Amino acid sequence: MEAVVVDAGSKLLKAGIAAPDQAPALVMPSKMKLEVEDQQLADGAVVEEVVHPVVRGFVKDWDAMEDLLNYVLYRNIGWEIGDEGQILFTEPLFTPKALREQLVQLMFEKFNVSGFYDSEQAVLSLYAVGRISGCTVDIGHGKIDIAPVCEGAVQHVASKRLEIGGVDLTNLFAQELKRSNPSVNIDPSDVERLKEQYACCAEDQLAFEALENSCQPERHTLPDGQVITIEKERYIVGEALFQPRILGLEDYGIVHQLVTSVSNVSSEYHRQLLENTMLCGGTISMTGFEDRFQGEANLSASAIRPTLVKPPEYMPENLAKHSAWLGGAILAKVVFPQNQHVTKGEYDETGPSIVHKKCF
Amino acid sequence: MYGGDEVAAIVIDVGSYSCKAGYAGDDTPKAVFPSVVGSIEQTGDADESKAEKEPEDSKNGAKPMDVDKAKTKRKLYVGQELDFRRDNMEVISPMKDGTVTDWDIVDNIWNHAFRRRLLINPEEHPMLIAEPSTNTAQQREKAAELMFENYKVPALFLAKNAVLTSFASGRATSLVVDSGGGSTVVSAVHDGFVLQKIRPRYSFKKKEISPGEYKIVDLDLPNTTESYKLYCMRAIVSDIKESVCRVPDTAFDEVAYANVPTTSYELPDGQTIEVGADRFKIPDILFNPSLSQTIPGIDGFADSISVRGLPRMVIDSINRCDVDIRKELFSNILVNALIPVLHFAPLHLSGGSSSILQLKERLEKEVLEESPQAARVKVMASGNSVERRFSVWIGGSILASLGSFQQMWFSKAEYEEHGVSYIQRKCP
Repeated sequence: MEAVVVDAGSKLLKAGIAAPDQAPALVMPSKMKLEVEDQQLADGAVVEEVVHPVVRGFVKDWDAMEDLLNYVLYRNIGWEIGDEGQILFTEPLFTPKALREQLVQLMFEKFNVSGFYDSEQAVLSLYAVGRISGCTVDIGHGKIDIAPVCEGAVQHVASKRLEIGGVDLTNLFAQELKRSNPSVNIDPSDVERLKEQYACCAEDQLAFEALENSCQPERHTLPDGQVITIEKERYIVGEALFQPRILGLEDYGIVHQLVTSVSNVSSEYHRQLLENTMLCGGTISMTGFEDRFQGEANLSASAIRPTLVKPPEYMPENLAKHSAWLGGAILAKVVFPQNQHVTKGEYDETGPSIVHKKCF
Repeated sequence: MYGGDEVAAIVIDVGSYSCKAGYAGDDTPKAVFPSVVGSIEQTGDADESKAEKEPEDSKNGAKPMDVDKAKTKRKLYVGQELDFRRDNMEVISPMKDGTVTDWDIVDNIWNHAFRRRLLINPEEHPMLIAEPSTNTAQQREKAAELMFENYKVPALFLAKNAVLTSFASGRATSLVVDSGGGSTVVSAVHDGFVLQKIRPRYSFKKKEISPGEYKIVDLDLPNTTESYKLYCMRAIVSDIKESVCRVPDTAFDEVAYANVPTTSYELPDGQTIEVGADRFKIPDILFNPSLSQTIPGIDGFADSISVRGLPRMVIDSINRCDVDIRKELFSNILVNALIPVLHFAPLHLSGGSSSILQLKERLEKEVLEESPQAARVKVMASGNSVERRFSVWIGGSILASLGSFQQMWFSKAEYEEHGVSYIQRKCP
């Protein structure tokens, strides 16, 4: 039976049978609604809460996660109780050991899987483009991970994690829109879609500043009929990644962080790392982002310029969005047949801490 | 007695230059960041200081420190927050000469390591703390108190740096030459215990003179404090030292090295500088401290007469040990040539013996010359630069994951029963 690869992100959960040259079969939001049973409003409607099982990349709400996985594995992928297969999970950088152990425990005890493996998203993204060394810049919904990887091993000492991501950009966008369209009431979930549609990056910092003064306004009709104008707000969203000051963070932009992070690795690897820089994550599909990134990289002070990696042709189109999942699919094909994963027997014998010994 | 189940112990080593923290059993620490902090003095009430940020973007939300009313409040920036230049931010170090002077800052550093970098809850993990070999009883008690009261750790152990380095190289007996922290400490370790009386120690302050001069182009960034500029400069200079310096094979001679070819080094902003004879001269100070007089700009050390070179220190410490173990010590000399250490006194720079190239050979040769006939001298310095930087931490990781160690933890129950001074008995 084929292994299943699950990449649980803060916004989207990607899951599917491990087929390396296809996009994940299931891409669904990981947001969930909780029906609180014992509370009832006056008109008999049931109180519903929005629950995010994955916050900033880490699983926070285990009950919700269990329900989510239940849905994914049994109803979508088609597993049957009693005949579960092998599963591979992805995890972000700096996952605490306790969290990994909890995941393994959940998998073996509640779901009774026959094999388990987990790996860091940075390494998997590189596998997806056919490399084992390089630098990944993973700009997700909840966090940004910058990780230099040498020969399949993430250099934890040099890696960086920024606590900003798509969700902060959405909030920024909402804030800016509110400021320029004060009379319009925009629903937060709509802002997300608006951001995906309109957000873009200016070519460089000077262009951004010029846009402050003059910009093409766009008119957009919201689903409820209201009309809003979007002018320079769309550029602010992209700019925030390169100037985190806009988000209120006292920190440098991503290209600078990348260069600093690589400089913490011993110098023999610098060339290899910078010349194989991989951008992944949902946010990079923003218009103009890659060009801006390359532009800033060319301006950076390092002698070796960061160069972006070209995805191979046989990989699906939107590789960058699902690169961690695709890398996971590739890895699953290697790990499970060679029995390098954690089996039920080993788990029963050693307990959850076996995950640290078997899965790097 | 602490049970020591599956929960992983945390090993934390706060040095004078950087703090290393991570899980026991790993081969490198997960969190490595500078052990100095940036601090901005804040006069006035608490609401004037920047508002506390949400835990979500707590990457940057340093907590304003509520020091007692007598002092002014200050906001501390730890870890990579230090990288970002801020107005009026002073860089301060909690350590002086290798021992802790400001526990407040150390508290902040520990907090940063646990809560922001490792993302753990300290109440669930036993802690192994590496302490300087010359730590006083008072310091240890203070550390233990801080850990148990503030962080409520379940168990604690304080291990000496020298012992951990020894374990990292797989030996229980060795003479550890620990060069760093503003001082060079030579400690004899025998069967995992530091032999107390043999620790000659003196401050080694070196100033690194970069021949290209510090062409620090003063950008139009007013309000940058001197200490911050100095901090950045030293970071660059120490990197230069690490990559370019070499210990000369024989004693340094001005004339002989006058014509040595220069090596070029690329600075972070792209400029290159040429380093000439100085790259041999500076490391030689370790062997011949009087050389420091010849370098312009250094204020000689107060006790320069009593300061001896490294080989002499080694011989002296061995001679103070029991005759029986001397032979074993001679053949197991470990040079813990650490990462370069930056000392934050206003004028002096102390460099660690980071110039690994040739240090081992030179030390071996000099010790051999001065040692008694029958001794077989062997100096060991690990070849891998990662191991060198983290050798104390790695030793801690090894120690904390040993099965036989699990009964040696100083547990919370014991702390509550016997009080903090019990630690002197539990952690020798």
